[in-house]
Formats: sequence, structure tokens, C-alpha cells
Amino acid sequence: MEEVIKVRQLTKSYGKKRAADGVSLTVGRGQVFGLLGANGAGKSTTVECILGTKTPDSGTVELLGLQPQRNRKKLFERVGVQFQETGYQEKITVRELCEATASLYKTAGNYSELLKRFGIGDKTKSFVSSLSGGERQRLFIALSLIPDPEVVFLDELTTGLDAKARRDVWKCLAGLREKGLSILLTSHFMDEVETLCDEICILKHGKTVFYGTIQEAVGKSPCESFEDAYLWYTQEESV
Amino acid sequence: MKAFGTMLKTELKLSLRGMDMFIFAICMPLVVLILLGIIYGAEPASEGADYSFLQQSFGALCSISICAGGVMGLPLVVSDYRGKKILKRFRVTPVSPALILTVQVVIYTIYSLLSLLLLYLTAALFFGYEFTGSWPQFAGGYLLVILSIFSIGMMVGGIAPNSKIAGVIASLLYFPMLIFSGATLPYEVMPKALQTVADVLPLTQGIKILKSASLGLPVSDMTLPLILMSGIAAVCIGISIRFFRWE
Repeated sequence: MEEVIKVRQLTKSYGKKRAADGVSLTVGRGQVFGLLGANGAGKSTTVECILGTKTPDSGTVELLGLQPQRNRKKLFERVGVQFQETGYQEKITVRELCEATASLYKTAGNYSELLKRFGIGDKTKSFVSSLSGGERQRLFIALSLIPDPEVVFLDELTTGLDAKARRDVWKCLAGLREKGLSILLTSHFMDEVETLCDEICILKHGKTVFYGTIQEAVGKSPCESFEDAYLWYTQEESV
Repeated sequence: MKAFGTMLKTELKLSLRGMDMFIFAICMPLVVLILLGIIYGAEPASEGADYSFLQQSFGALCSISICAGGVMGLPLVVSDYRGKKILKRFRVTPVSPALILTVQVVIYTIYSLLSLLLLYLTAALFFGYEFTGSWPQFAGGYLLVILSIFSIGMMVGGIAPNSKIAGVIASLLYFPMLIFSGATLPYEVMPKALQTVADVLPLTQGIKILKSASLGLPVSDMTLPLILMSGIAAVCIGISIRFFRWE
């Protein structure tokens, strides 16, 4: 299988704190990969090092066979990103934000179609600031898909979404994956991870504590369910 | 080009919705012009001068909008976009920093040109103003003022760590320049000591160029302002691009 994301021994420290400590991972084309861990475990740092918005202290990163910091402009024609925290211009409408985003790419998908699929097709004239948290979250997922990317990064995919909206997002992503989209996501919801992810990597204090499929994660733990297994992998030692 | 066009259109709309540049770059110079026009009318600039007070002030008035856009609008919008992580989102798209900055520079240039046009029409229609200098020279000087003042704004926006500090620096540049460079308070009425201090401000030099060009005065003593302003522009643009920060 073609590897679209390849990370080897990625390390990044902030002062004395090692945010990512020897992380390695591989994502194949059409795969959904989940990067898991508690808050502060190093998920966002790892994602940002892969994207080149942060420079790793050591280790190598290849995204679609390219180095993100050297090939920024070329690479981001084919890669979509939804950051956990993101901003938008004051007093900008949904349509304007979508149009401006689409204009940055040589080829861009149809944003009205995307908005419709994420259930916010009727919001194009609204100010982004007037959207609810869940609507805004869906808007930014839609924005990351506007370039019709080969790989998409979704940081905290469905935080703030209600049950119905989460199901809709899952369905949409599953559909895109069928067409060959590769996805790297971070999430705090284990039902979501179980539904979507082919492979996962669990981080704890920047180190990989588990890497493999969901079944393997449950199998290698003394637990029955994936959520229990996840908690078992990430729990703090009592001593 | 598609990216530039769409971004320009969007950002221009957003800027107009914000209203502050409409007030500071369009309305304010007009208000000052109307006040000067009513107070001094067509009086000669000084005893025996063969041009009116208004003619003498025209060049200075044209620079108010450049100053507002360049050292207020430009740095605030760039640092605001950085603070709100909008630039971070741009970073993971194919857009270049130069394009982002150019779009903003073009927007504030549009405000300045619009202000110039309105000032000229108002002065000519209501206060009997006549432009007696050389338009090409005026255009050259105008471009140089835009270039140097905007480059200061680009530098502040580019290197200020956050929008609060950018706001403080912008105010420190904007208000003294507005008051002491002759943009509002005429340079000629200032005491000699104040004039000497004001000469340090780049806008004072810019206004001297605009004034000479609009009055058709000899350009021989313009060498120093020209060199000074080109130097400022080169250094500031260099710094703002070299040290451009997405976050």
C-alpha cells in the first residue's frame, strides 16, 4: 500500500518538556488513522510537526513523499487541515470564508455541496461568528475538504457536536474514504475512533504506548471494551 | 491571480464593514480640509506668499489617510490575523505571505487614493482650490510616501508579538505623526523648535515632498527627504518579509 504519511522517530521538546518523544507512524492511502491520548499527551504537537507548522528537534516527516517545510506551497494544494483552534475574520460570512478559501487552490471542490453534506447548506449568508459551536466545527471540517485533498488532518474532529451531527460527519468521512481520501484524526471519543479508524496510535507524555488496530488494542489489554482498554493504556501509574 | 482577486474583494468588504478606516482615512481628512477651508479660506499662506493657505496645506491633508492606513490599519489587521490564528490557517494552504501582505497594502492604497480624490474635489469645488504644481511629480512623491509609511506599518504588523503591542506601537506612531508632521496642524505655524523635532518624522519629510510638488516649488532641496524615505521603505519592507511570522 502506498504510504501517504511517514513519520520516523519524531521528537519535539518545549524547554525540558518532551511533547513528542520518538513518535513513528505510517498512514496508507485510503486509511483512517487515529492519534489518541489525554490532553497534553502530544497529539497536536505531532500533527503540527507533520504539517511543518512546528519544526521537530529530530526525526523525519514525509507527507505525500514531500517534506512539508520545503514544499509548503506544492503540498498544501493536496492536503486539507482542520486545526483544533482556528480563527476567522470578524464579520465574515460563511460564503465569503468558503469562497476565499477555495480561491487559494488551483483546483477546489464545490463548497455548497460540502456545506449541504455537513448540514449547514442554509447558512451561507450567516456570519461565521453567529454560528453555533457545532455548526462552526462542521464549517471548518468542510473548509479542510474544499481543496479536494488526498490527505486530511482533523484535530479533535467532533468536539462540540451533538449526536446527530457526529453521525453525519462520520458518514460523510466514510464516503470520502471510499474514494481514497486518507485521514489522520485526533479524538477524545472512543465510539468515534472505533467506528472510523483502521489503525490507532495512543500517546502518553509524548511516547507511543500502543500502536495497531482496535482489536489488537483490546486484545493486548486485560479489558473487554475499547474504551476501557484506552483508559488502561493511558492511566497514570499509581506509584 | 484568482486568489488575489477573491482575497482582495473579501478583505475590502470586511474592511468596509469595520467602518474604522472609513472614519479615519476618508472622513477625517475631509473634516480637517473643511475646517481649514472655512477658517482660512483663500487667504495667502503667509504675507506676500503667492499661494493660498489651503494650497499650502493640500499636500499635508493628502497624507492623513496614508498615515491612518499605513501605521494604524495595516499593522492592526496583520497582527489581529496572527492573534486570531487566521495566518496559521493560511499557512496550511498554498498562499504566500507576500500575497497576504499585498492584498492589505492594496486595500489601504485604495482608501488613500479615494481620500485624495475626495479632498481634491471638495477643495476645488467648494474652496476655489487650484493645483498649481506638477501632477507627475506629485504622483511620484505620493507613491514614495505610501511606500515608506506603509512599509513602517508592514514592519510593525510583521514583528509585533501580539495585537495589543501592535496597537500600542501603532498609536505611538500614528498620533505624533498626525499632529507634529504637519498633516493636521500646519508645519508652518509651529514654533522653530517644534519644527526641528518634527523633521525627524518620516511623514514630515513626505509632506514636504508633496507640498513642493503640489505648489510647483523647486525640487532641488528634496534630495534629503527622498533619500531618507526610500531608505526607510527598503529597510522596513526587508525586515517585514524576512521576519514574517505566521504565529
